[in-house]
Amino acid sequence: MSANIDHTPVPGKLAVSKLKPSILIAVLMLTVLAALPLFIDGYTLGSYRDILLLGLFALSLDIFWGRTGILSFGHATFFGLGAYGMAVATTRFGIDPYWVSVIGLLTGVGLAASVSLIVGYFMLYGGVRGAYFTIVTLALTLIANQIAVGWSSVTGGDSGLIGVPPFSILGYSFVGPAASYYLALSLLALCLLVALKVMHGRIGLLLKAVQDNELKVRTLGYRTQFVLLATFVVSATIAGLAGAIYATCTGFVAPDMIALLLSTEVIIWVAVGGSGTLTGAVIGTFIVWQLQQKISSYSVAAWPIFIGSFFILLVLLFPKGLPAFLMDKLRPGAKKEKAVQ
Amino acid sequence: MDVAIPFLLNSLTLISILLIVAMGLAIIFGLMNVINLAHGEFITIGAFTLVVVQAAGGSFWLALLVAPVVGYVIGLALEKILIARVYTNPLHAILVTWGLSLIIQQVLVLGFGASPQRVSGPFDGAVDILGVTYPLYRLFLIGFALAVFVATILLFKKTRFGLDLRASIQSSEMASVMGVNADKINARAFALGAALASLAGVLLAPMAAVTAYMGINYLARSFFVVLVGGAGSVGGVAAGSTIIGGLETALSYQVPSTVAQALVLVLAIIILRFRPTGILPA
Repeated sequence: MSANIDHTPVPGKLAVSKLKPSILIAVLMLTVLAALPLFIDGYTLGSYRDILLLGLFALSLDIFWGRTGILSFGHATFFGLGAYGMAVATTRFGIDPYWVSVIGLLTGVGLAASVSLIVGYFMLYGGVRGAYFTIVTLALTLIANQIAVGWSSVTGGDSGLIGVPPFSILGYSFVGPAASYYLALSLLALCLLVALKVMHGRIGLLLKAVQDNELKVRTLGYRTQFVLLATFVVSATIAGLAGAIYATCTGFVAPDMIALLLSTEVIIWVAVGGSGTLTGAVIGTFIVWQLQQKISSYSVAAWPIFIGSFFILLVLLFPKGLPAFLMDKLRPGAKKEKAVQ
Repeated sequence: MDVAIPFLLNSLTLISILLIVAMGLAIIFGLMNVINLAHGEFITIGAFTLVVVQAAGGSFWLALLVAPVVGYVIGLALEKILIARVYTNPLHAILVTWGLSLIIQQVLVLGFGASPQRVSGPFDGAVDILGVTYPLYRLFLIGFALAVFVATILLFKKTRFGLDLRASIQSSEMASVMGVNADKINARAFALGAALASLAGVLLAPMAAVTAYMGINYLARSFFVVLVGGAGSVGGVAAGSTIIGGLETALSYQVPSTVAQALVLVLAIIILRFRPTGILPA
């Protein structure tokens, strides 16, 4: 028995063999994205930059949902807090332009981090898991949206706030599509590669173990509630970062950046890419975003119907996520990942 | 007295609506551990039944009879076609019911337009209660909703269906060993919850803006009721509705209603920290 009671988890073969292709795909994807401004520019590049930031947002959800199996329906709250924090700090107080972006960033990210810390503490330490967690976070988005619409003296109400300056740090301003594109890309690359590294290491294994059987992991002496809370806060902080930078790129914030529909869409981006794969979240964002542009240009009302049908199809036809479904088709009988828990 | 009575009656209005809306949610959650995110849409369906009935020349009372039937039939059909497939996986249930909710909202927008619909209540006017005038319709609403709630309790306590239902909530495995048809109970309970929500929709319609998105606010409140009160028990629903409804009404006297809702959420989260399964779980 004593041989089994060992507190250092041995990185299994599974983790090592999974690490290689996903990092390879991530690096390949980032290289292609880095070369993109050579071929396109102007408005198109600007929309790709937006997708990169939304991809970063999707990545943040995947870090929590994909790795802990607990679905957060409230990630738009953190994205929106980042965006609104940035917008309010930069447009309302007349701060010195040299520092204004940094202060805005700290405000937005700080708001997202502290709200997630408070909400996460009460729920995760209170033993709230699974479906309960999902609906409380859903309510969180609903109320955050109502506050964004209702508190119009600060948030601008329905019309939002305009005039958020482009992101600048130490006097260098990321003006123009190419500069802001590379800013978005480097943030995404940094977060993605670090997340892949961490999730394939000890912490990733620990989270996987918590997902399988939290009680057992706690019995082995790990502070599972702390691990879950830390993951939640990191995830929300990245979402806030994506939101804050998104606001500086588009130059405005509006209540639909903190709305339930956005929380819903980000779940789809992650589910299409295969939850838990991290790189997949970014790829999923690219695929669904293109699709959304096509469908929305056909009819605005068609998009929510499409999302709704997609959720139902996802569960009934591809309960393990699209990539796993395709993998099964390609390699019959192969062992597949659990995508949608 | 001048302040206390309107406050009491305003609280009771919200509480009585929450009672019948949250009942369906709590039963479905307690019975099948399924969170029905499309529950709010049954309120909307009820309200739109009133719109259609009144547009066709029917009265409020006709709609009050028709709406639960419409809710029951739609609920039963959706349960058989979709929901029954996802009971084993709570996350799948959330995604499917959320998908349903989005589809129902958009279909209603396409059919009726996005602007608020025109409905009228059965009677206007106000009555004097201890020197305070109060709208007659709201008094009717409180009385009717409480009667429906009591009828639902009797259904649970006195009928064979109620017995089977309570047995299934306690242990669905043991109940099916004893010969309770679990599929049938699940389908009926789901449809019953939908019918109650539709009824609430008709009651709400004369005093709310009837739009395709009206259900979502009551969905969130009903969640708080189930979270705070506890799932699967009548007592939990009553306790939760009283706390959430009373608190929100009290707070909305002092602060804007959005802030009041935010404070209610904060309180619900704090209560969860200490009683993760609610105040009165099944």
